[in-house]
Amino acid sequence: MGDILSVFDMLSWFPENISTFGQELDNLFAIIYYISVAIFFLTFGLMGWFLVKYRFKPERRGYNYHGNNIVEVTWTILPTILFAGIGVYSDGIWEMTKYSKRVPKPDVEILVLGKTFGWVFLYPGADGKFGRNAFNDRTARALMNPSNPFGKDPEDPAASDDFMTENQFRVPVNANVVMRGSSQDVLHSFFLPHMRVKQDVVPGTWMNIWYNAFKTGTYELACAELCGGGHYSMRAEYQVLSKADYDKWLDGKVAEQAAAAAPVAEAPASDTTAAAATH
Amino acid sequence: MSTTTIAEHAHVDHHAHDDHAHHHQPWYRQYLFSTDHKVIAKQFLLSSLIFLFVGGAFALFIRWQLAYPGKPVPVIGALMPDTWVDAPGSGIITPEFYAQLLTMHGTVMIFFVIIPFAVGMFGNFCIPLMIGTDDMALPRLNMWSFWLIPPAGLIMMSAFWVDGGYAAAGWTSYPPLSASIGNPVMKLNGQTLWLISLFLVGFSSIMGAVNYVTTVLNKRAKGMKLFDMPLTVWGLFITAIIITLGTPVLAAALSMLFMDNFLHTNFFLPDHLITSQKYFGGGQPVLWQHLFWFYSHPAVYIMILPLMGIVSDVMATFSRKPIYGYKAMVFAIAGIAFLGFVVWGHHMFQSGMNPLLGTTFMLSTIVIAVPSSIKVFNWLGTLWRGNIKFSSAMLNALAFVSMFIIGGLSGVFMASAPVDIYIHDTYFIVAHIHYVLFGGSLFGIFSGIYYWFPKMFGKMLSETWGRRHFFWTFLFFNLTFFPMHVLGVGGHMRRIYDPNVYDFLKGMGGLNEFITIAAIGLGFSQLILVANIIWSIKNGRKASRNPWRANTLEWAAPAHPGHGNFDRDITVYRGPYEFGVEGRDTDYWPQWEPGKSITVNHQTVVVADDVDDTKVFGAH
Repeated sequence: MGDILSVFDMLSWFPENISTFGQELDNLFAIIYYISVAIFFLTFGLMGWFLVKYRFKPERRGYNYHGNNIVEVTWTILPTILFAGIGVYSDGIWEMTKYSKRVPKPDVEILVLGKTFGWVFLYPGADGKFGRNAFNDRTARALMNPSNPFGKDPEDPAASDDFMTENQFRVPVNANVVMRGSSQDVLHSFFLPHMRVKQDVVPGTWMNIWYNAFKTGTYELACAELCGGGHYSMRAEYQVLSKADYDKWLDGKVAEQAAAAAPVAEAPASDTTAAAATH
Repeated sequence: MSTTTIAEHAHVDHHAHDDHAHHHQPWYRQYLFSTDHKVIAKQFLLSSLIFLFVGGAFALFIRWQLAYPGKPVPVIGALMPDTWVDAPGSGIITPEFYAQLLTMHGTVMIFFVIIPFAVGMFGNFCIPLMIGTDDMALPRLNMWSFWLIPPAGLIMMSAFWVDGGYAAAGWTSYPPLSASIGNPVMKLNGQTLWLISLFLVGFSSIMGAVNYVTTVLNKRAKGMKLFDMPLTVWGLFITAIIITLGTPVLAAALSMLFMDNFLHTNFFLPDHLITSQKYFGGGQPVLWQHLFWFYSHPAVYIMILPLMGIVSDVMATFSRKPIYGYKAMVFAIAGIAFLGFVVWGHHMFQSGMNPLLGTTFMLSTIVIAVPSSIKVFNWLGTLWRGNIKFSSAMLNALAFVSMFIIGGLSGVFMASAPVDIYIHDTYFIVAHIHYVLFGGSLFGIFSGIYYWFPKMFGKMLSETWGRRHFFWTFLFFNLTFFPMHVLGVGGHMRRIYDPNVYDFLKGMGGLNEFITIAAIGLGFSQLILVANIIWSIKNGRKASRNPWRANTLEWAAPAHPGHGNFDRDITVYRGPYEFGVEGRDTDYWPQWEPGKSITVNHQTVVVADDVDDTKVFGAH
């Protein structure tokens, strides 16, 4: 019974919010929700009242009245003000969360690529800078292939320490994380329910995705855009770590990357052949 | 009063005689390739009803999978073809078939049920009758507009026999997924058949729409000004204009996607995709979304504006009251139609288009709430001080208004771009679209069917069963779709095969199960409607000429009009909503009955024929 009643308390169904702007989005939802509930009761109340009061009685006649312009103008202007208000208020939040010029200066920058069916992430590695890849140089798209989805240029020394993770990523808490998202095949949508973040990723284009988490823990990333039969399984996990834990993990990854890069000198050559083959 | 009854009987007899006069046409011209708009309307009714059950069956498969993921479909599971299930005879739906199901459910319901019902059936049936003419301006074109639907449906369904089955990219078919990467050149598959089929449906729509515009503008009865037309005709007329402007864009988009699929062009495919395909380059996937929604957002209004008109007429008739603010209603329909063309981007807030456009489209979208609320308030104003009869048609009309209020309010959430970030592509959207298209359009369609059935078939539908159908449909509809809002707030994505994959959706299994049980009830409730229609055509009470005592011109025609519609000359003397006029015996005053009236203080007053309007104080 409690379950059934909780359906009417819609706001209680939100998953926990962990991002700085998430609360503003939830508040906006709540504002519109309460306005809607009020309008719902107003209109349904009036309707119910009229339906009971003016139900058929053989001795009565409907009132021949064609409407009144003053009334029409009133109920045109009032909703206009109300809805325009919602629009203007919403726009402020929209600009903050999505406008390119409002993307904060990144503390951490990560590339993310959707693929059927999974996610890959590219971190800038020890130098904190991406080498040449498909994100910062369009011509590097020619290097993209299944083993090198980001089109990392093997000849660029800055790229050698950039490391990839698959279906999981980690970010530090209380830091501006800026992700540049794209896809290697079809459309996907990068959806972090707890972070109130959603952005379709489009092959051939890079999208700005940013957030700042205030709580540590393990959460889920989902794909929200139909991308084929395995769409439902396009789940990934991410961890929001304290700065110390994050740095530790990062150092471990960098060491791993360095160890992996050293013996495999052939890798660039095979990459080029693969790229040539797809061409 | 008694004289009218006698006159009506006389006309009925005359009509029966009239029917025989048309027997010189062979049967296939009368029932199959007929150019009579009423026969074409019935054909649309039949095809749409069939597809309603096809689309509904798809939906129930989807619901079963969501409530009981990985469990075999009951009863028919063992009979399902091997390509639909994970192992022969297992009855467990595969994820690939699930994607086909949701694609076909959306496509069939929108393009083969609601649009043909709303525009094809009511457009054909109502326009010539309600403007008092014998047929459409271009009857042969009209016949073709229906006869493209069956081949289109067969082409869509024939994907069952091709490799990979039905189209599986959603009813919106976003490329690159819908560009069937890896499909050999010049090979038909589910997606290409989908494109061909919709192209034909679009053709059908355009042929119908051209006809409606021409007919409304050229064939109105003597004395009928545009502002003497019932709102049903206004809704259909404005819808027809939307169709003629929007559908060609869809046709262009479909052709481009077809070429991408079939001839391996690259309109929508960017360079260097990591796939098995070798021919991509230079295209832009988001372009499809712009082209598609440029048609498909107005299409939302194609699916609702005619029903807004129908519901207005039903409400006026059964409230025995003039429509409150008739002109405001017309302008609101026109306003919604116009705004409908400048809001397509609200489907694309998260698509990756420039966020600056998000601001633009958010503001234009929110403005649509204004004409929508004008309509709601005017409907409420129509009920106010009426004398309301709860017939089946009226109950469905009231359901339309109330469900449209809920659907409209949930629309405000997604119109607000920042709120849409979270609820986009979740079940909140699914709830919204079903409140508008089922709660709105389909209840409107039911209302229209109950209202015009007597004129269509010459028999009355059973009111008792009509009310039962309404009751169960209304109940199960809300039990099915209201909880979907909650799923959406919980973050439940749409179009996912198995929600249990995600931890944050784990608590929603019970709700999904509840929805599925209600949806099964909703599906089976529709059998009542079909049974009622079939039973009433055979055994229903014979309808009189004007069973609802309504004012509009179709009720001047014989009870079951033959080819040519009217058995008398029609002249229009007044607007369509003169109910409860002071100084008349009856509480309605049909448009075709002679008599002079003037409007004083928003009320209609009967005057003698020789009174000069300008001499009456306050008249306008």
